Amino acid sequence: MDANATYGRALSRAFGGALLFSFPLLMTMEMWSLGMSVERWRLLAFLVLALPMLVGLSYFAGFEPTFRLKDEVMDALAAFGVGFLLSAVLLAIFGVLRAHDFGAQTGIGKVSLCAVPAAVGALLAGKQLGERGPGEREKARAGPLGELFLMAVGAAFLAFNVAPTEEMILIAYQMGPVATLLLMAASIGLLHVFVYQLGFPGETKRREAGGLLRTFVGFTAPGYGVALLMSLYLLWTFGRTDGVAPHEIATMTIVLGFPAAIGAATARLVV
Amino acid sequence: MASAPATRQKATTKTRQTAKRPPANAIPPLEWIAAGVGLALAGTAIGLTAWDAMLGVTGPPAIEVRLKRVTPTPHGYVAEIEAFNHGGAPAAQVEIEGVISGADPASATIDYIPEGSRASGGLIFDRDPRGAVLKLRAKGFSDAS
Repeated sequence: MDANATYGRALSRAFGGALLFSFPLLMTMEMWSLGMSVERWRLLAFLVLALPMLVGLSYFAGFEPTFRLKDEVMDALAAFGVGFLLSAVLLAIFGVLRAHDFGAQTGIGKVSLCAVPAAVGALLAGKQLGERGPGEREKARAGPLGELFLMAVGAAFLAFNVAPTEEMILIAYQMGPVATLLLMAASIGLLHVFVYQLGFPGETKRREAGGLLRTFVGFTAPGYGVALLMSLYLLWTFGRTDGVAPHEIATMTIVLGFPAAIGAATARLVV
Repeated sequence: MASAPATRQKATTKTRQTAKRPPANAIPPLEWIAAGVGLALAGTAIGLTAWDAMLGVTGPPAIEVRLKRVTPTPHGYVAEIEAFNHGGAPAAQVEIEGVISGADPASATIDYIPEGSRASGGLIFDRDPRGAVLKLRAKGFSDAS
């Protein structure tokens, strides 16, 4: 009974976190139409990739030092359920989901696209915003690969918030080559500074092994690479790259890479 | 010296906590339910999407326009229409036109009709279309996204 009550509170927190993380997307028009128009195979790939991502996130966000697959899988599934239900209820209230959407592919598309970021919020809030604040116990240690995974999730999450909007493409059209290179330099610079200079609370202390160059090659460069990869993946998922010239795709990727880089840099802040 | 009672108190709280907590690997029923609901929802979403990706209708949008009803208003005869997309692809900016002989044609644009779905709108005529032959059709669309 007591364990149920504790879990119930964590579940309520998860709903709060899902709301906090997903309402900008739930209230974005492009997300509704994308839910219907996204190519089904790409939506399928997105959903299938989301579940292992949630499992990994559950491990890194949790406080237990050992990896117990059953726990992590159950937490990830519960988070997906919370994200899905919250998205469905809110979209129905907003009048986005109509009666004929229920059970139909259009409704599933709209809800499940929003459910993934909501599930990330649910997972983080359910695990972290509890009585035990982060820092009281050591977070699960992340090795180099784990760090890269967290950066990828952070990048994808922040980029996801703006990737569906028309503005990404508009900005890419408006920017010349010089501006593009400047934005790229700014993204890399910010990524480096955020991680090594600002020292946000909750970040694991990173050793600057062997000076600036090695840190740059060992952390910042892969981090930015992951950010760009995530941007390209999201643009492709949303069908933004179809029939577009390669240099325009590159510009769009760099534009979206800006929020993605910031997301990658601050991933450890929230996870 | 001061640290000794503190340590003891910490120890007792810890014992109490461990005593209250069920065995480490007992999972509360609510957790099973939450995970089960999540599994069902994820399975439904993935299953339906996969089904649609593999076995869904393919081909361009095929849009049928139907008349729902006509209401005379002081500002013209409002013909409420419904457009069904029977094709395999969504259509955006669908232009609907209604023609009756001896009157100006009326048209409307529907933002978005996903495949297998319907959307509604209205055409406004200056003559009652109920007595006349009303031709309804979709004139064109643009690809979604």
